[in-house]
Amino acid sequence: MKLACVVHRFGADIAGGSEGHCRLIAEHLAAQHDVTILTTCAKDHITWSNHYPAGESRVGLVPPKRGEREGGLRVLRFRVARERDMRRFMDLSDLVAADRATAEEQEHWFRENGPDAPELLAHLRQHGAEYDRVLFWAYRYAEVYFGLPLVGERAILVPTAEEDPLIHVDMLDRFFAQPKGFLFLTPEEEALVAARAPAGTPSAVIGSGLDPAPAAVDLSPLDPLGLVDPFVLYLGRVDPNKGCAALIRHFVRYVETGKTVQLVMAGPASMPIPDHPLIRPLGFVDDGVREALLRKARALIMPSPYESLSMVLLEAWNHGLPALVNARCKVLRGQVERANGGLHYGNAVEFIAGLDYLLEHREVAQQLGRQGLAYVDREYRWPTVVGKIEALLART
Amino acid sequence: MTEAKVRVDAVMGEIERDVRARLRRHLLKKGGAADYQDEEIFAAVHALLARAIDARNLDATLLPELVDGDIDWRLQTHLTLTTHRPGVGRFILFAKKKLLLPLTRWLFEYSQDNFRRQDHLNRILFACIEELALENARLRRDLQRQ
Repeated sequence: MKLACVVHRFGADIAGGSEGHCRLIAEHLAAQHDVTILTTCAKDHITWSNHYPAGESRVGLVPPKRGEREGGLRVLRFRVARERDMRRFMDLSDLVAADRATAEEQEHWFRENGPDAPELLAHLRQHGAEYDRVLFWAYRYAEVYFGLPLVGERAILVPTAEEDPLIHVDMLDRFFAQPKGFLFLTPEEEALVAARAPAGTPSAVIGSGLDPAPAAVDLSPLDPLGLVDPFVLYLGRVDPNKGCAALIRHFVRYVETGKTVQLVMAGPASMPIPDHPLIRPLGFVDDGVREALLRKARALIMPSPYESLSMVLLEAWNHGLPALVNARCKVLRGQVERANGGLHYGNAVEFIAGLDYLLEHREVAQQLGRQGLAYVDREYRWPTVVGKIEALLART
Repeated sequence: MTEAKVRVDAVMGEIERDVRARLRRHLLKKGGAADYQDEEIFAAVHALLARAIDARNLDATLLPELVDGDIDWRLQTHLTLTTHRPGVGRFILFAKKKLLLPLTRWLFEYSQDNFRRQDHLNRILFACIEELALENARLRRDLQRQ
């Protein structure tokens, strides 16, 4: 099949959730299909300023097909016409969050969220019919919200929906009625979106695929970091929207009870991290450090209140690491309960009790980690995931 | 699929019981409601409030609909600048947007964050009141049926 994957930004150096998911899925589909990525020139997800050159390029490690000289995925980039005006966007976001936005304002929200890439939309309008299927990632972005209706009869939507105020806006009823099929990341996301789509729309819950973690991991990249043993790990963007402010608050309360465990926060920070002897910010870490952290930590902590799928959680389980997750996020709680791979907390007192339990009951914690790994083996290996996507492509 | 050796719901049940017991002791020590001496009462109050916070959709409660009459109860967290003066109003608006607003933006953003928190808390309190009203209504109905 000739497939197009539409995503707001794309690149081997872009770490975002839906962008990374799109890249992995596209790379695996490229083994059987002719895949083209349709994206923008943006790298910065706040401003959408143009960074990559417009036009065709090759990205990633996909081996060349027979008759082709170059490997990698074929990527078509289109320029962003207008950077995001954060003030206007935030003001509109407040209206949407307060459920006060008119239909016009709701639609305006998607336009302001961006990226505003009119040439990408023109490409879909003119060449959309040349693709057998067009897969769209993340409904909240402008090129998906306005682009999907242009090729509705061949569109597959990967909504990456979270239970945030946006999902409740009225305009989405019309939007969710248009794709020919859905690929969901979790059953919770399916419940959130499928209730608003026409009954019987083909869909599959795919999550994301992982390769088995290596049996032995080199821990030496941790040596120069001077970490305290034991430590618990937060992995990802350090951002208040990811629950990091609450995590730090809860953790400080925990260590004030006399505990000496360290919180290692590995990921680029977009908020101040307090100077605390038991909180160790590492900033962005490379794959070697990441693997070593996942192998050496005593538990992963996922404080995010909104997630459509936590890839980090799956990665942790891939290393047999138990997790402590925010129970207010239905997706995280659902993942942990289905896997029997960790504990959850709804407030500071439960956070303290849950963390204490994982650190004090080492054997139970290790068993939770092993159960998490068994869950990943069952649900999230690439042959399983690609098989589900192929079945949906055949049904739509 | 093999049965899990450790079940999350069982461990969480144990942790939650422990958390409730600690919380009750803590509140009593700090001079909280004397009724909390009774474990059952504390458990019932805890369950009711937790239900209001965790299980209710904060965007779908009755009280805000009833209050939404003459007064607008919701905190307006976004800023809208308008004018009622024809002609000169446009210049005043331009000055506000381009000169005054950039200078005072830090104050607006600081307040906005606090307004958002207060707004969230208000919605939680509405949900708590509704949960109490619901329980009251159920009890009344049960009493009438007896």
